[in-house]
Amino acid sequence: MLSTPPELDKVLAVAAEHAEHADADAEFPTAALDALRASGLLGLVVPVEHGGLGGTFADVVDLTMRIATVDMSVGMVFGMHCQQAATIVRHAGPALRAELLPALARGELYLASVTTERGKGGHLLTSESEVTAEGGTLHVDRDAPVVTGGVHADGYLVTTLAPDATSPSQVSLIYAARNQLETQVLGGWQPLGMRATHSVPMRLTGDIPASQLVGEPGGFRDIVTATFGPLAHLSWSAAWLGAASGALSRVVGHIRSPQGRKQFNTSSELLLTRLAGVRGRLDLVHALLRHTLDVVDRTQDLSVPPVQLLINTLKTQAAVQCFAAVDELVELVGLRHGYLRGSALWLERVFRDLRSASLNYANDRLLLANGALALLDQEVRLA
Amino acid sequence: MDTRFVTMLRPFLKYAGANEITLDSSLRDLGLDSMQAVELLFAIEDTYQVSLPDELLTDTTFATAGNLWAAIESSGVGAEAGAKLC
Repeated sequence: MLSTPPELDKVLAVAAEHAEHADADAEFPTAALDALRASGLLGLVVPVEHGGLGGTFADVVDLTMRIATVDMSVGMVFGMHCQQAATIVRHAGPALRAELLPALARGELYLASVTTERGKGGHLLTSESEVTAEGGTLHVDRDAPVVTGGVHADGYLVTTLAPDATSPSQVSLIYAARNQLETQVLGGWQPLGMRATHSVPMRLTGDIPASQLVGEPGGFRDIVTATFGPLAHLSWSAAWLGAASGALSRVVGHIRSPQGRKQFNTSSELLLTRLAGVRGRLDLVHALLRHTLDVVDRTQDLSVPPVQLLINTLKTQAAVQCFAAVDELVELVGLRHGYLRGSALWLERVFRDLRSASLNYANDRLLLANGALALLDQEVRLA
Repeated sequence: MDTRFVTMLRPFLKYAGANEITLDSSLRDLGLDSMQAVELLFAIEDTYQVSLPDELLTDTTFATAGNLWAAIESSGVGAEAGAKLC
C-alpha cells in the first residue's frame, strides 16, 4: 500500500474550495486538476521505474474515496483517469509505454475516455465507429455523446471498430494525443448532478499512427475483462462510497455540535435506527468493495461468471446503496439542511451527484448481464 | 465438429453469412454475445443431451467454434458424433 502522498491534503483543499462554484456553473474543476498534476497523483498507477508512484488498484480505490468525500465529480475524474492510465500501463506496447508513462508521472497527461457512441450509448463491447487504415496510419473520425473532461484532456483512449472489422464486436482501443486530433465540442453539459465532470459531446478527428493501438487490433474485449471493466466498477464504487461517507460524516458532526444537539434528540429511536441504516449501507458497500478488490487481485481469469457477477454486483449495489444512504440522510436532517443549497452539509449536491450512479453504465444493463451469468453458474460458486 | 453442431451454431452467428464455420471461427466476431451464450448453451444441452459443467462456461470456451466443440466432446459426445467436417 502506498503511504499517504504528501500532496493529497493540498488536492483535497483545492477540490473542496472550488466544489460549490464548479457545481453551480457546471465547470470542470481545473484548479483541482492542476493540484492533481502537481501532486504526481496522475501517475499513481505508473510503475516507479517510469517515475510514477507505483500504486495498486487498492490505492486507486483509497484515493478516489478520499477525494470524493469533498467532491464526487473530482473523485470520478481522478478514478477514471487512473482507469485509463492503468490500461496503458498494462496493455500498451513498449514504445507507447515509454512515451506516455513518464509524461503521466510528471502530471502532463490527463487522460479522458472515449467509449460512448450515439447509436449504442455506453455499451462497451461493440462499436459502429469505423476507422480507415492507410499504410501505418489510422484515420479516426469519432463522434462521442459523453466525454468526461474531454475539453481538458491531454490525451484520449478511444474505442473504434478495428480497421477491417466484419462485425461490431471487433473493437480496438487507440491512444490519441490532443495535438494529433481536431477536437470539436458539439454541445453543452447541464445535468442534474456530477456537474463538475463537464462530460460534453465531442467529435474527434485525426490521423493516428497504428503504433498507438493499445492491445491487439479488435482486442478491446480482453482489455475490458482484465483491466478496464474491473477498475471502472472499483473506482466508481469508491467515488460513490466516498461521497456518501463524507455526507454521513458531516451529518454526524452536525448532530453532535452544540447547535445540532438542540435540534436532534440523540436518544430518539427514530434517529438512531435511521443512522444505523445509513451506516449499515456504507459498511455493506465497503465490505463488497474490499472483497472485490481482493478477488480481482488474486484471480487469473476474470472472465469466469462468478467473478464477473461479483464485479457487476459491486457497481449496481454501490450505486443503489450509496444513493439510498444519502436519500435517508436528507430525510433525517430535514428540509433546511437536507434539501436547500447553501447548507454547510451540502447534502443536496451529493444527492444530485449520486443520482447518476445507477445511470453511469446503466444498472439495468448490468443486471441483464448478471441474470445471464447467473444462469451459467448453476452451482452458485460465490467468488 | 459434426454437422448438427454447425447447423445449431448458425442462427447465433448473424455475421457469418454463408461463410464456412471452422474450428478457428471466432464466435464473438460472428455475432455471439453474452446474452445469446445462454441460449446457445441450452441448444447444446438439448441437442446433445449433455450438461456442460459450470467450470467450462468461460470466455475461452465460447471464444471459438473449436473450443466450444471441445467442451461438448469433453462432456462425452465425441464418440457418437456424426460426420466430421474439420
